[in-house]
Amino acid sequence: MYPQVLLKNRKKDRILSLEEYREMGGYKALHDALTDESFHPRQIQELLLDAGLLGRGGAAFPTGIKMKTVPDDAPHPRYLVCNADEMEPGTFKDRVLILTSPHQLIEGMILAAYAIDAEIAIIFIRREYETAARALEQEIGRAREAGYIGKNLFDSEFDCDIIVHRSAGRYICGEGTALLNALEGKRANPRKPPPYPTVKGLWQLPTEVQNVETLCCIPHVLKNGVDWFKTLAVSKTGAGTKVFSVSGKVNRPGCYELPMGVKLSEIIEDYAGGMLPGSRFKACMPGGASTQFLPESMYHARMDFDDLKNAGFRLGTGAVMVFDHKTCLVEATANLMVFFARESCGWCTPCREGLPYILDLLNRIEAGEGEVEFIPMIRQMCSHMNYSYCAFAPGAAAPVESLLTYFEGEVMAHIENRGCPFKIGKVN
Amino acid sequence: MPKLIIDNREIEVPEGIKVIEAADRAGIYIPRFCYYAELGAVGACRICAVKFVDGPVKGIEMSCMINAQDGMVVSTTDPEARDFRRHVIEWLMMNHPHDCPVCDEGGHCLLQDLTESCDHGIRRYKGKKRTYVDQYLGPLIQHEENRCIQCYRCSRYYQEFAGYKDLGVMGIAQRIYFGRYAAGVLESPFSGNIIDLCPTGVYTDKPSRYTGRRWDYERVPGICINCSLGCHITVSARYREIVYLEGRYSGKVNGSFICDRGRYGFFYANLEERPRQGRVRGEDVPSGRAITMAAQRVKEVSESHGAAAIAVIGSGRSSLETIAALTHVCKVQGWRGPVLFDSRVSSESVRTAVSCIAQELAVSMKEIESADFILTVGADPINEAPMLAMAMRQAWRKGAGVAAIDCRSLDWPFQFEQVTAAPDDMADFLAALENSETTVISDRFVAQIKSIAAKIRACHRPVVVCGTEITDSKIIYGAAGFVKAMRQAGQEAGLFYTLPAANSYGAALLDEIGETAEDLIERIESGEIKALVIVESDLWDTFSDRQRLIQALEQLELLVVADFMATEILHRADIIIPTLSIFEAGGIYVNQEGRAQWSPPAYAGGTPIKITGQGGHPPRIIRPDIPAGDISPAWRMAWWLADRQPPASHDLLLDWMGKTFPVLEKAANFTSEGIRLYLPEARRKTARETGGRKIQSLGEYLLLPVAAVFGDEPMAQRSPCLEGYAKHPEMWMAASDARLFDASDGDAARLQLPYGPLELTLRLSERIAPGTLIVYRCPDLFWQQFARSSRFIVPKDRIRIEKKA
Amino acid sequence: MLPETYKSELKDRLQKVGNPREMVVDVMLEVQEFYGWFSDEALEQAAVLLGMSSLEIEELATFYNTIYRQPVGKFVIHVCDSVICWMENGYGELIDHIGKKLGIGMGETTPDGLFSLLPACCIGYCDHAPAIMINKTVYGDIAPAKMDEIIETLRQEK
Ligand SMILES: Cc1cc2nc3c(=O)[nH]c(=O)nc-3n(C[C@H](O)[C@H](O)[C@H](O)COP(=O)(O)O)c2cc1C
Ligand code: SF4
Ligand code: SF4
Ligand code: FES
Repeated sequence: MYPQVLLKNRKKDRILSLEEYREMGGYKALHDALTDESFHPRQIQELLLDAGLLGRGGAAFPTGIKMKTVPDDAPHPRYLVCNADEMEPGTFKDRVLILTSPHQLIEGMILAAYAIDAEIAIIFIRREYETAARALEQEIGRAREAGYIGKNLFDSEFDCDIIVHRSAGRYICGEGTALLNALEGKRANPRKPPPYPTVKGLWQLPTEVQNVETLCCIPHVLKNGVDWFKTLAVSKTGAGTKVFSVSGKVNRPGCYELPMGVKLSEIIEDYAGGMLPGSRFKACMPGGASTQFLPESMYHARMDFDDLKNAGFRLGTGAVMVFDHKTCLVEATANLMVFFARESCGWCTPCREGLPYILDLLNRIEAGEGEVEFIPMIRQMCSHMNYSYCAFAPGAAAPVESLLTYFEGEVMAHIENRGCPFKIGKVN
Repeated sequence: MPKLIIDNREIEVPEGIKVIEAADRAGIYIPRFCYYAELGAVGACRICAVKFVDGPVKGIEMSCMINAQDGMVVSTTDPEARDFRRHVIEWLMMNHPHDCPVCDEGGHCLLQDLTESCDHGIRRYKGKKRTYVDQYLGPLIQHEENRCIQCYRCSRYYQEFAGYKDLGVMGIAQRIYFGRYAAGVLESPFSGNIIDLCPTGVYTDKPSRYTGRRWDYERVPGICINCSLGCHITVSARYREIVYLEGRYSGKVNGSFICDRGRYGFFYANLEERPRQGRVRGEDVPSGRAITMAAQRVKEVSESHGAAAIAVIGSGRSSLETIAALTHVCKVQGWRGPVLFDSRVSSESVRTAVSCIAQELAVSMKEIESADFILTVGADPINEAPMLAMAMRQAWRKGAGVAAIDCRSLDWPFQFEQVTAAPDDMADFLAALENSETTVISDRFVAQIKSIAAKIRACHRPVVVCGTEITDSKIIYGAAGFVKAMRQAGQEAGLFYTLPAANSYGAALLDEIGETAEDLIERIESGEIKALVIVESDLWDTFSDRQRLIQALEQLELLVVADFMATEILHRADIIIPTLSIFEAGGIYVNQEGRAQWSPPAYAGGTPIKITGQGGHPPRIIRPDIPAGDISPAWRMAWWLADRQPPASHDLLLDWMGKTFPVLEKAANFTSEGIRLYLPEARRKTARETGGRKIQSLGEYLLLPVAAVFGDEPMAQRSPCLEGYAKHPEMWMAASDARLFDASDGDAARLQLPYGPLELTLRLSERIAPGTLIVYRCPDLFWQQFARSSRFIVPKDRIRIEKKA
Repeated sequence: MLPETYKSELKDRLQKVGNPREMVVDVMLEVQEFYGWFSDEALEQAAVLLGMSSLEIEELATFYNTIYRQPVGKFVIHVCDSVICWMENGYGELIDHIGKKLGIGMGETTPDGLFSLLPACCIGYCDHAPAIMINKTVYGDIAPAKMDEIIETLRQEK
């Protein structure tokens, strides 16, 4: 059993209460940071940078660096936004994190806000997580009463309040800049930096957007130190733990907190209870729908941002979606494309028009109307997704590209057989 | 200044511009859909992709999103970039209908052009096309949403640039829809620009639907004369009629856009009712014959009563050429006039404004966009000079504050602060702003005035916009004084007047006396004047006392009316002489900042084929001449009336004008942005020559007819497609006054005026100055019962309110 | 019509925020609760309350997933159709089953106005696939029998 940090003391069917959280040493980091006169908020930024904390929302950007891009003389109010939109298919770790310990997130948010001197913190949460949203509202109230949220925290000059904002539902709202437009009551089309949100974000004021899991890590880094955090990982360059959302053809789908860099095979076999009876591992998406399929050759790969990146993949959100040998990946990819084509914000041409085009071609291949020329067409369109306005379209292209790279045989079989081999019984 | 290389051409460009604009400057066209200079870059369509070969940015990027930087090497022809652009077109064409043959955009369609030039020729997509239901957007714009390529130009223009909220983008992903919440007439008086902006045929010009292709038209760069701003337009003519007008870029006046009054205000030129023949005592004669007959009759009157018994009336809707010719002819013949102003107040106001404008004070409309504070005094841009409101909005978008001193309930598409002041008080408020002398103004306003004064003092490029319709010469003079004072204090202050007509400025330049129609009527009544020649004047509509006008006209021995529109007064003439419109004769118009601009003729004139062909097919009657092609411009007619020979050509006319009138010395040297003409120092007014008059006393109401964007301006008023846009008769009253009458919004108001009752719907607002009643001029309202530019006092007991049922 | 108490309470809340627009999603969702769906009347009311034009509200209402611009039943069943739920064994049969049970297809509402069936993208309960959301409650590990039970309970509840 690896050390549990974020999901420690996780209770079945209930959240950790404020008291329980405090007993575990919760809010100590916040207390110390705010009462220690010699501790400058900017030191939080340094600590997070040294600890190698990378954003857990998918982009793996170093949190300390992002914080440093808020200019010292930037205007106020400043905002800290917790991104709990979590609409990436396959991903559900943020829900579990909130429902495990809302106070862990609250403390992380206040600390992050303190690091950039933000007085308003907002939790942007998807509507499907109503239970989590209510739990948060309730616990924010408790934290406020306890003096962890509000004015002059711990008699310092620092004020911070937390607001919960419920989205009306769109995947693109989770994109850090589209989210800002959504919060401003505009259509959630992304914004193109520069200026970066940390300089001109919500209402053109400095805004730091951070994923739930990232924020949850912060109190632990402060409390236990940089070195401790680094040693949690088992990969060369990774740091901390990672909460993997495991789903698909495994016996025990669910959230598992494991060291950064744990092997995929270990996750599946030792934690997720192995493949379903009668299923063989065929592929896996390591980080949600917008990452590439990992083929069988990657079965023992280390689940770490750098390791996967070096091998040409992305860890994304750490949502391990497992596919078995009976699943048609052409059809699965078409299903993903339905999602992406439907959720495109409609701002830029490659994504708005190109994805439905790719979907049409995949559907044709699946339906037995595929032509050999479709393959280079799809490939080229996928590569063109890199020239879209935001990261949505390249993400949408990732599974398709990897389908063509690692499962070209399966695609070709569809074309040659003029139909889906899984449907016309060409597969056992 | 960054230096970069685009397609092997080295260019140096100003800091901060995008690569696409840098390429434009180098004469290299990079495809674009979403990018439009005045709307800025948003990177949505992705068609402007180019390859950055070397320098600070590498790889394929959107040229509209990247600032031009030193050392960049850019290739627009790189195979990878071209391949991507071809795909972008393919994507856009997935759903675009192939209805070019029946699409009015065909032939000047950006999508057509770029589909060709980006080399997308063969359809590969096998799926179905997405379709939409179109919306009725009013009589001006046809909607065909299936053609949309989602460039977002229209919604961005409509909401962000223009500030209106009834057209935008709905839906998401591939189901995006551009239109209104519900079908209905677009609310913005600047809506027509989406026709010009849309890169495909989603919005096309409705009145000209299915009349032709761009290459069928005679197209010239023109000037709009539907208000005093003189926006630049492109005129398209075919079959002897004007088909449509578009906005034309001017870096000094209007930028790219125009208002709907200007865009659709040209139909007077096509109307069947237009005079196209001479008429002498009820009989049609060729136009030349009518002129000779008129000259003959004028001569007779002159012989029997003396030259001073003949008077000429002109107007600010005539070209500078016509005004100059009339001025010259009156002078040499000893006739009175030309009288170019309807009322004394208007004459005073316009001539004061023109005498105050000077090179160093005047700002162009485009310069207003970079003002950091704008103060308006008695000016309502939306209604008096629509595009000015757009320029002010752009300044406001960049952070400029806007304050207005006015008695109306102003309604502009941006935020501003209004100081509600009665016309009589506006001068005091202006003075208070200038010198912080607040003793003369009511205590209620002191704090507000002080705060505005502080804001104005704190800014660098304030502009004072002053109207000439509800103001008096003291305010107009004061506005210039304020600007001068600010300039002396080191601010780059600017002055901007609005004037009543397209050539009011030109009229004031040439008119040294400022005699008015009011004065002339008196002379007719006294028998001093026996013959009147009215040239292109709207006196019938604009003269404040119609009964008196009718009686005066009946007293005349001779009434000659020359016009290109069928005004009411024309029908009362002994002799009618048709003249040419700006589209046929061309003309110089001097806008309100003193910019003289030349609008060339768009076609040779003559009765439209639609009329002569009477619906037959083919519509032509083959004949060697142009039907009604013998009409002369009014300036030629002026000389002939005096039995003299006009200059033989327009060029010679310009020469002659420059030599004859010192203020027009530069008139022959036109550039595309026009030339600026100012009064010489000696002809400028002094403070002593201006005055304000307190005309209102307690318990009286000042009834003020004011301008409306539609239904008021004499030319645009004749456009059939604009009929529904005119306001309904309404009277605005201060909410505090309404309490005295126990009146509420929507009640019926009945005014007992000298010539009978006037019925209007009552509208209330906190921002109407107490004691003032505002009436927007509109065709349904017989407002000639009171003065147009002067004012009318209504005692309280003449106002009756009937409660709304 | 919206209750006056809601209107006045909302006015207070709007006063407190910097820009009424930041409340627009909340207001759309709340007003939708009153009407059951985001009808034209609901939309127009929301516009008035927020001081925005109807078009501006429509621009947002049609952007989001859970603002219903067409009438829906009292219980809106959002059936996840994203990849994990989709590849669950028996997913196709489950969908058919729900449709038959209610007698409607995707995008339709039962004639008694109780249930609507809408496809939804991943609702974040892949560990309990297949998952559905009814109004604001999520149900996981759905099988035909469980679905019948849920539907019957809701029928009782109406
Ligand atoms: C299409 C799209 C959807 C995204 N959705 C989410 C999301 O639901 N939650 C999240 O935390 N980050 C999401 N992201 C990533 C955010 O843009 C952003 O990088 C992240 O919230 C930053 O937080 P982090 O640095 O803590 O990861 C999304 C990105 C894209 C391109
Ligand atoms: S890639 Fe373009 S259309 Fe797609 S979500 Fe991003 S901005 Fe919107
Ligand atoms: S309607 Fe025209 S201008 Fe508007 S988005 Fe579509 S193509 Fe662009
Ligand atoms: S013109 Fe650059 S993206 Fe549209």
